[in-house]
Amino acid sequence: MLEKEQKLLEILKSAFQVEGKVIRNRRVEIWDHKEMVPAILLMVKTQLGYKHLNHITCIDWLEEGKFQLVYTVFSHTDKLTLFVKTKIDRDPAIMPNIDDIWDQANTYERELREMYGIEFPGLVGDQEFILEDWDEMPPMRRDFKTDVYAEKTFFAQPGREDAQDVRETITKRSGEEIPEFAKKYSRD
Amino acid sequence: MEGIGLKILGALLTTIMAFAVGMTYGGITRKLTARVQNRVGPTIWQNFIDLVKLQSKKTNIYHGVMGHFAPMWIITAAMTVLMFIPVLHPNSTWYSTWFPNLTFHGDLIFLLYMMVFGSLGMALGAGQTGNPNSAIGVTRGLSQMVGFEIPFVLALVALMVQYKTTSIQDIMAIQDQSGVWMMFSNPFSFLAALFASLGMFRYSPFDIVGAPAELASGPVSEFGGKYLGVMMTGGSIFAFIKLTLYVDLFMGGAYSIPELLIKTFALYMVPVFYGWVSPRYRTEQAIRYFWGWPTALGILGVIIAVW
Amino acid sequence: MENKRNSQTIAEYIKNWSRKHSLFIMAYGTGCGAIEIPATLTSRYDAERLGIRGAATPRQADVLLITGYLATKTLKRVIRVYEQMQDPKYVIAFGSCTINGGMYYDSYNTINVLEKYIPVDVYINGCMPRPEAVIAGFQQLQDKIARGEADNGTRYKENLEWYRANQHRVIKNWRMPDYNW
Repeated sequence: MLEKEQKLLEILKSAFQVEGKVIRNRRVEIWDHKEMVPAILLMVKTQLGYKHLNHITCIDWLEEGKFQLVYTVFSHTDKLTLFVKTKIDRDPAIMPNIDDIWDQANTYERELREMYGIEFPGLVGDQEFILEDWDEMPPMRRDFKTDVYAEKTFFAQPGREDAQDVRETITKRSGEEIPEFAKKYSRD
Repeated sequence: MEGIGLKILGALLTTIMAFAVGMTYGGITRKLTARVQNRVGPTIWQNFIDLVKLQSKKTNIYHGVMGHFAPMWIITAAMTVLMFIPVLHPNSTWYSTWFPNLTFHGDLIFLLYMMVFGSLGMALGAGQTGNPNSAIGVTRGLSQMVGFEIPFVLALVALMVQYKTTSIQDIMAIQDQSGVWMMFSNPFSFLAALFASLGMFRYSPFDIVGAPAELASGPVSEFGGKYLGVMMTGGSIFAFIKLTLYVDLFMGGAYSIPELLIKTFALYMVPVFYGWVSPRYRTEQAIRYFWGWPTALGILGVIIAVW
Repeated sequence: MENKRNSQTIAEYIKNWSRKHSLFIMAYGTGCGAIEIPATLTSRYDAERLGIRGAATPRQADVLLITGYLATKTLKRVIRVYEQMQDPKYVIAFGSCTINGGMYYDSYNTINVLEKYIPVDVYINGCMPRPEAVIAGFQQLQDKIARGEADNGTRYKENLEWYRANQHRVIKNWRMPDYNW
C-alpha cells in the first residue's frame, strides 16, 4: 500500500530535505521555505513528470500573520497529486514568480496579486485582472470587512417591520430548543 | 385607364394590399411555427401590433444621414418595384380598372435590377451605424445574394430566351394561350427559381443575415423604433413582390384577388416549411448549396430552352 | 374623445394597447435567473402568445430583464444597455438579489438594491422565480402599461442626476459614452 506515494516522498526528502507526509492514497504533500518552491517545482516537472499544474491557491492565516500558498501539481504517468506548500509573511507578501516554469501560472499569480496583494517579482500583465476600479484593500484578505464595505458602498435595504427571526420561528413551531451553539446567532 | 386620379388610387390600393398581405403572411407563419412547436403562439395579427408599437416609440436613435434614409430607401424601392409588377392577369377586369400601375413600362431585366435596391439601401444604412455586427450582416447578405441570384437569373434567362421576350405580360399571355403553366412547361427553371426563393425569403437555413444569436439581427441591429417599423413594412412589401413575380412567371398569373392569395400563400409556404426542419447554414455552406443543384437545374433549363 | 376608464385619449389608448401586446425583451442574462428565460419563451410556457418575444439588440428592445444578482462590473454594462434602449422602455427585476441583495447582501462586488441605479417597473420575487411567476410579472407590467403608468424612461431622465450620483458611487472610474436618448 502507498508504495508510489512513499517513494515520491523519499525522493523529495533526499533531494531537498523537505518535510512532508502522505495524506492518503494518491495524495502527497510537502512543506518548504518559499525560496525553495521554484526549485522543487522545476525538479518535479522536469525529472519526475509532474507536468500538470492544477492550481495555485492561497490561505490567509491572519492570526499567525502568514499567507500559505499551495501549489498543486499532478502527474499523468504516476496518477499522483503533489501539494507543495509554503508560508510567507503577510506584510510584505512577496513570493518568487514561477510563470517561466508553467505559462498558466501567470493567470493564478495575477489573481493572487489582485485578491490577496501578494507580489510576484517579474510578473507580466496588467495590475487589474478581474476587479474593475478597485481602490480598497485586496478583498480576499481576511481583515477586509466585506459587510462594512458593502454597507458603505451599496444601499442596504431595510428589513420589514414584521420580519421574523427564522430560526426562532421554526424552533417555536416545532417545539425544539435552540441549540447552545446557535444562540449567539440569534437576533436578541 | 383614364384619369390620373384613378391611377393614383390604384397605386395606393396596390401598396396597401401588398403591405397587408405581406404582414399577414408573416403573422400566419409565426402562428404556424408556434403550432408546429406545440405552442399556442401569437395571433396572426401580431406583426401589425408590433408595427403599431414600433411606430409609437417616443424616441428614435439618429445615426447620421444614411442611417436615417436607409429605411426610406427600402420602402421607396419596395413601392417602386411594386408599381412595375402586374399584380393580376392583364386580361382580368380587375386589372384594367385598378392595378395597371406602370406595368407596361417595365420588363424582367429592369425588375432584376431594381429588386436589389432594397438590399443596397439596407447595406448603406447599416454601414453608417458603425456597428460591427451590421457590417458582418451586410457582407453575409451580399454573399448570399451572389449565391441565390445565379439560379434565379438562370431561370429567368431560360424563359426570356425560349419565348424571345422580356415582358412579363407576354410571358403571362403565352401561358394563357398554351394553357400550360410555366412550372410544368419549364420544370427545371421553375425548380431552380424555387430553390432561389429559399434564399430570398431568408427563412431558417438561410437566415444567416439576421442571425439573432450570432449577429444580433445583423444589418438592423442599430435600428429601433420607427426605423425598424418602416424596414418591416418594406420587407413585407418585398415579400409580396417576390411572390407575385413568381406567380406571374410560373403559375400563369391570377385573375382575381382570392386566386392571387391562394397561389402566393402556397408558394410562401415552401421556404417556411423548409425552414421548420433546417438549422442555420454558415455563409459558405449556403453559397455552396445555391451553386450546387439549383444552378445545375438552372443551366439545364437554359440548355433545354435554347435547344 | 376620452376613454372613461383611465382618462386616456383614444390614440393613447391604442398605443398603450399595442405596447402591451408587443413586448420585445432584451436577451441579456445577468445572473442565475437567465436560465428561466428560455423556459419562459419556449414551448412549455410559451410567452409569445402574450406578444413577448426576444429582441437581439437594445435598440429594438422594450423590456430589460435583470435576471438575478448584479456584479458591479455587470452593472456598468447594464447601464449602457439600458441607456441605449429607446423610450418607452420597461425594466423587470428578477429574484431577491435585485430587491435587497439576496444571499449576496454583504458581498463586496454585487449591488444590493437595483432601484437605486436604474428605475424598475416590476419586481418578481423568489430565488429563482419559476416561469409562472415570470409570466405573472409580465402580466403585471402589461396592466401597468395599459393604465399608462409605466414611465420608466421619463423617471430616469427626470432624476438623472440622482441616478448618476448613485452609479458613480459604485463605478468609480467612469469611462462611458453619453447616449442621446
